Amino acid sequence: MTPKDFVDTNEDVRRAVIFLFAAAMAHGQTATSLLSQRAVLDQYCVTCHNQKVKTAGLMLDKLDLAQVGEHGEQWEKVVRKLRAGMMPPAGLPRPNAAAYEALTVALENELDRAAQANPHLPAPGVHRVNRTEYSNAIRSLLALDIDAAAFLPADDSSYGFDNVVSGLGVSPALVEGYVEAAAKISRLALGHETAPARKIYHVREDYSQEEHIEGLPFGTRGGLLIHHYFPADGEYAISWDPVRTTVGGLYGGDSEDEQAEVLIDGARVKVFRIGKDVPISSLRDKNEVRVPVKAGERTLGVTFLATTYVPNVDLNRHYHRSILDDNLIDGFTFTPQVSSVTVSGPYDGTRPQDTPSREKILICKPSGRSDELPCARKILTTLARQAYRRPITDSDTESLMNLYQVGRNAGDFEDGIERGLEFVLAHPEFVFRTEDGPTNVKPGEAYRISDLELASRLAFFFWSSGPDDELIRLAAQGKLRDSGVLEQQTRRMLADQRTHELVKNFAGQWLQLRVMQSSTPEGTDYPDFDDNLRQAFRTEAEMFFESIVREDRSIIDLLNGDYTFVNERLAAHYGIPNIYGSQFRRVKLDGPLDVRRGLLGKGGIELVTSVSDRTSPVQRGKWVMTNILGVVPPDPPPNVPALKEASAGGNGPLTLRQQMETHRANPACAGCHKMMDPIGFAMENFDGIGKWRTKEAGQIVNASGQLTDGTKISGVVDLRNALLGYSPQFARTVTEKLLTYALGRGVEYQDMPVVRAIVRNAARNDYRFSALIEGIVKSDQFQMNRKKEAPLTAAREVK
Amino acid sequence: MIITGKHIPRRAVLRGLGVSLALPLLDSMIPALQPLAKAAAIPKVPRFAGIFSPHGWAPEYWQMPQQGAINEYPFVLKPIEAWREHITVISGLDATSSMPPAGMAGGDHSRSAAVFSGVPPKKTVSDDIYLGTTIDQMIAQKHGQDNALPSIQLGIEDQSSLATCPWGYSCAYVNSVSWSGPTKPLPHEANPQVVFERLFGDGGNAQERQARRQAKTSLLDAVTQEVNRLSNKLPGTDRARLDEYLDDIREIERRMHNVRKASDPTPDAEVPFGMPESFTEHIKLMWDLQTLAFQADITRVSTLMYAHDVSMRSYPESGVTTANHAASHHGAVPKKYEDWAKINRYHIQCLTYFLDKLKATPDGDGNLLDHTLILWASNMGDSNLHSHKDVGHMFIGGANGQHKGGRHIRAEGSTASLLLTALRMCGVEKESLGDSTKPLSLS
Repeated sequence: MTPKDFVDTNEDVRRAVIFLFAAAMAHGQTATSLLSQRAVLDQYCVTCHNQKVKTAGLMLDKLDLAQVGEHGEQWEKVVRKLRAGMMPPAGLPRPNAAAYEALTVALENELDRAAQANPHLPAPGVHRVNRTEYSNAIRSLLALDIDAAAFLPADDSSYGFDNVVSGLGVSPALVEGYVEAAAKISRLALGHETAPARKIYHVREDYSQEEHIEGLPFGTRGGLLIHHYFPADGEYAISWDPVRTTVGGLYGGDSEDEQAEVLIDGARVKVFRIGKDVPISSLRDKNEVRVPVKAGERTLGVTFLATTYVPNVDLNRHYHRSILDDNLIDGFTFTPQVSSVTVSGPYDGTRPQDTPSREKILICKPSGRSDELPCARKILTTLARQAYRRPITDSDTESLMNLYQVGRNAGDFEDGIERGLEFVLAHPEFVFRTEDGPTNVKPGEAYRISDLELASRLAFFFWSSGPDDELIRLAAQGKLRDSGVLEQQTRRMLADQRTHELVKNFAGQWLQLRVMQSSTPEGTDYPDFDDNLRQAFRTEAEMFFESIVREDRSIIDLLNGDYTFVNERLAAHYGIPNIYGSQFRRVKLDGPLDVRRGLLGKGGIELVTSVSDRTSPVQRGKWVMTNILGVVPPDPPPNVPALKEASAGGNGPLTLRQQMETHRANPACAGCHKMMDPIGFAMENFDGIGKWRTKEAGQIVNASGQLTDGTKISGVVDLRNALLGYSPQFARTVTEKLLTYALGRGVEYQDMPVVRAIVRNAARNDYRFSALIEGIVKSDQFQMNRKKEAPLTAAREVK
Repeated sequence: MIITGKHIPRRAVLRGLGVSLALPLLDSMIPALQPLAKAAAIPKVPRFAGIFSPHGWAPEYWQMPQQGAINEYPFVLKPIEAWREHITVISGLDATSSMPPAGMAGGDHSRSAAVFSGVPPKKTVSDDIYLGTTIDQMIAQKHGQDNALPSIQLGIEDQSSLATCPWGYSCAYVNSVSWSGPTKPLPHEANPQVVFERLFGDGGNAQERQARRQAKTSLLDAVTQEVNRLSNKLPGTDRARLDEYLDDIREIERRMHNVRKASDPTPDAEVPFGMPESFTEHIKLMWDLQTLAFQADITRVSTLMYAHDVSMRSYPESGVTTANHAASHHGAVPKKYEDWAKINRYHIQCLTYFLDKLKATPDGDGNLLDHTLILWASNMGDSNLHSHKDVGHMFIGGANGQHKGGRHIRAEGSTASLLLTALRMCGVEKESLGDSTKPLSLS
């Protein structure tokens, strides 16, 4: 579908997009009625999609073009395929570009028109905050960083995201989790937790410690950096274990003069000499230091003093450590490594006076008994207002003060505050987001959600947390929807540091960065892979996405942005010269690095679309189709046999492409695989961990293929340029995902008119990220609900 | 294990032993445990421990040609050979509820929850998930209501790294094999600390725990009021979810009431912290906690997931570095096939710790192993082909005298029949389950 002469440069692509857009509008306005498209459908589509042959269950001869709205779901599927250039299949005749566009636009216009009468506005229902949102809310409420995973079970995902209502059920374990967490967190925040505890931090097994680790002092090598919350003032025991073999041999034990140091907030508290303090051979380590620490979150580091800056050129690069890796080779082993760090304590713990959390909570301190009640009221109502995400009522205050009193009677002022805070954290309006709906709305009627509810939606969308004071204030005054205010708040929120959560959680799930955490490439196939690279991939992808947000770039830059972010480890992997150090910095991708432009060139994407011992062209094809073209390929059939043996032919090993011949040879497979495989093959120069290669199995990589729309490509640059021709469709696909994330529900076919409208408007603004966001925020879907038709159940008796 | 009346306060332990204090929980730290019902001798029904390990076993490394008494166990099961008189190995059953529905394909890793339910899950990614009640919950609902916790669900893997569960099935079916109702998956807890505190409450000592329980009661009262208030403001259709919330609160209150009824069975032991990276360490902790929970009669029903389907976890301690799922697709390449079998064997090796602990724990006139039924189940017979036929299962333990091991049985039909057998032994008479109308006879 892409006019081939338009794909030379980025600029030309943009012009092409605008041209097509204008052409589409022109077509629409000349009122080419949909009925006149009948001929096009009959000529190019109905030959397969008719009642006799029933290809893919789609019978276009049967569908009435005058009543597109009645079969919205099917027509949206048609539009989706057309917009991805996937129909008619390659090889079969297609209308020319103008006619293709005319048909698509005519269908879209009809679908949009039909939707206007009855927009899709399902109310989300009671929406529980997920674990991430819970810990963010705690952080902003109490200035306390908690590991929510320690309190709450994991959330299920739905439609690809863990903030979607259908995945967020309740269970006794969860409720118990909230109640326990409320008690524990309130103790921690106030500094009332003085009982000894123990936490162990484990180093990932494939975490290399040959270089400087970001965050630890210069002049050190390897080790572990931890952010640990010390709950009370007191003495703590910090100990660490080095990596040893199963028979107790110390890794790097023959390295002379190695020293390890323990640092708290960057200050050294002890040095351990390897060989003297830490035995070379032992089955039990007792490397401990006891030190008084004041309560609060502190960085804790255990690391080695660098003894050399000579690069490690050992042939035997044991990046993947295994406790069975027993065969230490004299002179060729690597250096000592940290395996785990344990923090125990406090011993003789006492309640701290100043911590950030106490400062945040105790906004007043009573000078005497008579001051206590008003001070408690002030503290608790301030907390509750932010936690419940709305102004406080008298009955809220009454409940809070009742619990304060219970605690006060059993102890002192702060015990009372602790009880009150506990109540706030277990309160259903902290844990659930609800949207009431005005009482005078009839079932089936659409209504605008309240300003406070809108404020919540905004905050959870941008910050994965509750609204801040400014939002609550504006919403409570009913000013949030005033002219210009909503736009101004949207801009403010986008610029705020907290929008990093959007990057982390949205991109983290959409781009499967979280899955990367458990991708484990086979050590024998990828000996150079380590956790440092895994984390670098993740950081790169996050920073890349964040740059789009922060610099308000066009979303199309995700496809072909000419820059990325690397540190030394990643630069070495990508072959970018002269990059030193563990910190990330921006680099330009030009010359031979042109292949790395955009998402397709990101090592992390290559990693999650591979299996442990090889690439997966099929997964890569599926990834591109799903996340760029917006078409999810069908599932494979059962009983797919294993790939041919890699050396089945008598002429030496087969490349992966050769092993996958059956996909093309067998007609049962070819139907779907000719969509996915060419995309994956075009990316075959990136191996299973995203490294560029020119050969595979001894042969030059064959990255040629033909896309579904007939375009011939060879290599990832061709692929990328071909995909750029589908930029509007990419924008729509990203919008669909963003909308799912923003609304907390799956985006259905009925929502597509809104998606199209958002993208059409954003096109005028170069598809900038802020334009997409504003489109979502201003949409009916984000601002309105429709009251359900179902009958009411009886109201509960309030005891 | 010797139970004495003395126990060591936690602080003294920490001070004295420093950081080499590693779990398993020290036996000597557990105060003399009082059973929940003072009159209890042997409880009416045995404890039930369901164990789910996805992807099955490597067929050629565990299949036994003969039936009946087996003196030499095959490669995968070798580590538990010494226990064979307590074990019945059952082969030949088809996990029909894990198979794709008629006319459909795929999703072989997406229906884990079918294993203990005997019925296939409804194919959906949305909130209309539908399965059935799993057998552990049937037992808990009938015989576990007087315990502080009717059942516990344990796991080794935290599932939140998975953002998508493919094939049109909700992640709920992969994340939990214990469902208390057709729409209610119960979360499996992988963090030993959280499990410990759920079993024993949190607090540095028994008095603190008591005080915190009281505080919790008043908190729950207050929260219940708020939920009611909130619920009244909402449209009727939204109330259902808050009603669930209230039911869950009532459940917690009921359990707390039961705990108060018993004399304080809470150990003054040290709370385990952090998530051990070593699988061996982790599962030992879980076995410890399960044993303690049974011993203190905090619960009589437990379910443990060794891993999730499609698990990317590797087990270096098995001698194999390939990850679980990757290893299960060995492609019949001899070295890779053997690697998969080694992982299976390692998992069985980890089980011996549990059997040891149960056997060494006195219970009534015998020991916990005599009075427990362990059901080891999986969802696949040949993981390489995603085949759900001929899945290996095991019954282990005395089940209050109802189960005599020492045999291999080659059966036919659906795994649901085995679930019915387990139900019968645990005091739940059910006529049929899924596609089975008769329990499998083990004699």
